[in-house]
Amino acid sequence: MITNDRLIICEHCDCVYEKVTLAKHQKTLCTRCGGVLQRYNGLTVQQRLALSFTAAVLWLFANFYPVMSISLQGLKNSATLWDSVLALSQGPITFIALVAAISIIIAPVFQLLLLIWVFSFALGGHRSPGFKLCMRWLETLRPWSMLEVCLLGAMVAVFKLAGLLDVLPGIGLFALAALSLLLIRIAGRDVRDLWDVLEPAQNPSTEEVMDEVPNR
Amino acid sequence: MKSQIADERPTPGQASVKTRRFSVSLVWIVPIVAVLVGISLVVHSILQEGPTITLTFKTGDGLTANKTEVRYRNVVIGHVSDVELSDDQKSVVATVKLSKQAESFTREDSKYWVVRPRIGAGGVSGIDTLLSGDYIGADIGQSNNRAKNFNGLENPPPITYGEQGKRFTLHTQDLGSLDIGSAVYYRKIPVGEVVAYALDTDGKGVNLEVFVHAPNDAYVTENTRFWNVSGIDVSVGANGFAVKTESLSSMLVGGIAFGAPPYSPDDKPAAENKNYDLFNDQQTALAPPNGRPQYLTMRFDQALRGLKVDAPVEFLGIEFGRVVSVNLDFDEAKKGFPVLVGVVVYPQRLGQAYTKMLKVLHHDPDDEAAGVRLIGTFIENGLRAQARSGNLLTGQLYIAMDFYPKAAKVAFNPDARPVIIPTLPGSLEQLQEKFEAMVDKLNKLPVERIANNLDNNLVELRKGLAQFNAKTLPGVQTTLQDVSKTLQSANSTLAEDSPQREQLKQTMDEVSRMSRSLRELSDYLGRNPESLLRGRPKDAPAQDLQPSRN
Repeated sequence: MITNDRLIICEHCDCVYEKVTLAKHQKTLCTRCGGVLQRYNGLTVQQRLALSFTAAVLWLFANFYPVMSISLQGLKNSATLWDSVLALSQGPITFIALVAAISIIIAPVFQLLLLIWVFSFALGGHRSPGFKLCMRWLETLRPWSMLEVCLLGAMVAVFKLAGLLDVLPGIGLFALAALSLLLIRIAGRDVRDLWDVLEPAQNPSTEEVMDEVPNR
Repeated sequence: MKSQIADERPTPGQASVKTRRFSVSLVWIVPIVAVLVGISLVVHSILQEGPTITLTFKTGDGLTANKTEVRYRNVVIGHVSDVELSDDQKSVVATVKLSKQAESFTREDSKYWVVRPRIGAGGVSGIDTLLSGDYIGADIGQSNNRAKNFNGLENPPPITYGEQGKRFTLHTQDLGSLDIGSAVYYRKIPVGEVVAYALDTDGKGVNLEVFVHAPNDAYVTENTRFWNVSGIDVSVGANGFAVKTESLSSMLVGGIAFGAPPYSPDDKPAAENKNYDLFNDQQTALAPPNGRPQYLTMRFDQALRGLKVDAPVEFLGIEFGRVVSVNLDFDEAKKGFPVLVGVVVYPQRLGQAYTKMLKVLHHDPDDEAAGVRLIGTFIENGLRAQARSGNLLTGQLYIAMDFYPKAAKVAFNPDARPVIIPTLPGSLEQLQEKFEAMVDKLNKLPVERIANNLDNNLVELRKGLAQFNAKTLPGVQTTLQDVSKTLQSANSTLAEDSPQREQLKQTMDEVSRMSRSLRELSDYLGRNPESLLRGRPKDAPAQDLQPSRN
């Protein structure tokens, strides 16, 4: 079991390698398929926590300030992310509203909460309560978080509408852009390092071990 | 986290190592900055937040939460945050969040109304809202008290944004075709408008509030009169057909014009909120002031068909009042139905006569009893009222007051109010009466007898004529024949060769000889006058006896 911790499997071709410690600007590549195995991560846990907090604040901005406002001959309208979800839910495609709500609001906020939870304990050098569950959920949520898609959609709307109407990108849009970039950085696979950095608690219960095995 | 591991070296001393338990990385600046930005945004929006007020409208037409704006001079000062029905479902309550600098719009007398496209006879407004959607217009108030709840106006107030000018109140009998927004004209230029109207407190008239914009409000003076120029004034006069109107707009929605009489000395601009009367037309408006009205009653014992309310009352031919009522009365004593005519007269309209009379008689126009006494003396001197026909075609009557010194004396009751003026039958009625009397007399003539006598006379006449024809005419004929004969014989007597004429000639010769001998005698006597005494001398020669030869 302990030796297994030092091994790494290529995501693309399941080739097994030994982990190496990387210096700045270095990455390891799979010899068989050429996929990236490891990348140097310069961020300490503390920095990640700080960035997570920043992301949380940005999420608040993105959700409570209008993403954009349009005006035509004195007619004005503006919408926040939540407004767009509500607008969808009132239409005939309520299900899409649910998907949109999950992918642009709920998934990111859960990701951020889990990251903050995990990192704040990691700062002290030990695993948080429910560490394994949190780490698994972070992996599960990653594909559901589609903030960058939303950002792209909003940008397309802004540029398309600019010819027809007066479009003003709001604070929400900038926050959204910053948030999506930050999330790529902090909620990526690098989180997995925590498994190695943090030793399991002195007397891990068998249940936790049992829980971990089938997932791996 | 940084942990320091103490080196173990064979060095002389070992520095004591202090481990900082918590070291804070610079990266924390990032979330702090983010939070600060967030806080600043929140604080900014809190600082920007102005008062929240509620507006009550009859309908929520054009009001949308979070979209409808509140504007003052077309600058956004707030927006509607909520629109909902009032608790009693009778109105719509719009919650408005005003911006910080619009705090003064919570003054108690601030006004709010919905600006929407309005197309009326008076003009078109709010066209821009067709595209932009309705918005709430606001006008700032003056009051020092603040309020939270306002009643939204259904129509935009005509005067907004503290426009310079003056308001005046006009009294009139009825509103006519005037309305809020009807223009006020001065020399046919629109200088103001009607901003409000309301009934009197007793409901007996209408008070109109007009606003005259600066700087033209200076032309409203103490002497100014206001009159109604609604509709078209068509008049047919000696000069032809005249149509007068102030403007097309006033024709449709009514209007008011004002002006001062041409001669108005000591005129100064009127004070704000001065009260004026609204006259029906320019002519009555610019007439001299009526002065104190005097109510009089007249009692006519004749039917007054054609006497209408507002018919003129004239005094010696000068119009100085009008009829206000024509009523039938029942006379208990005579069991008849006299007509009671109430009139109002304005003695001041008599002009100079009135002022001079006041001066001479030292009469105080406010002393009612003295005025009645004055009328009493006039009646003593023969003042009588008469209903005269003003127009023979239409039969319109008017009341004429005149002096008839020969009129029968009438007892004057100085305590009766209104004062009763004795009357005379109208001129036409007098004529009728005389005519009637004549017809009566004619009726009384024994026409039948006269006709019979006349008939008999005619018969006699005919008989006489027949006799004349039968007897007298032949006599006349023979007489004429005789006359003819006489003339014939006279003619023959005077003929040239008639013996009568011969004889006449001889006679004339004889007379001539005789006259000659007479001359000789007279000559002889002239020469020998003694012979008259002595006779002719014997020895006188014969030649002496010869007649003279001349």
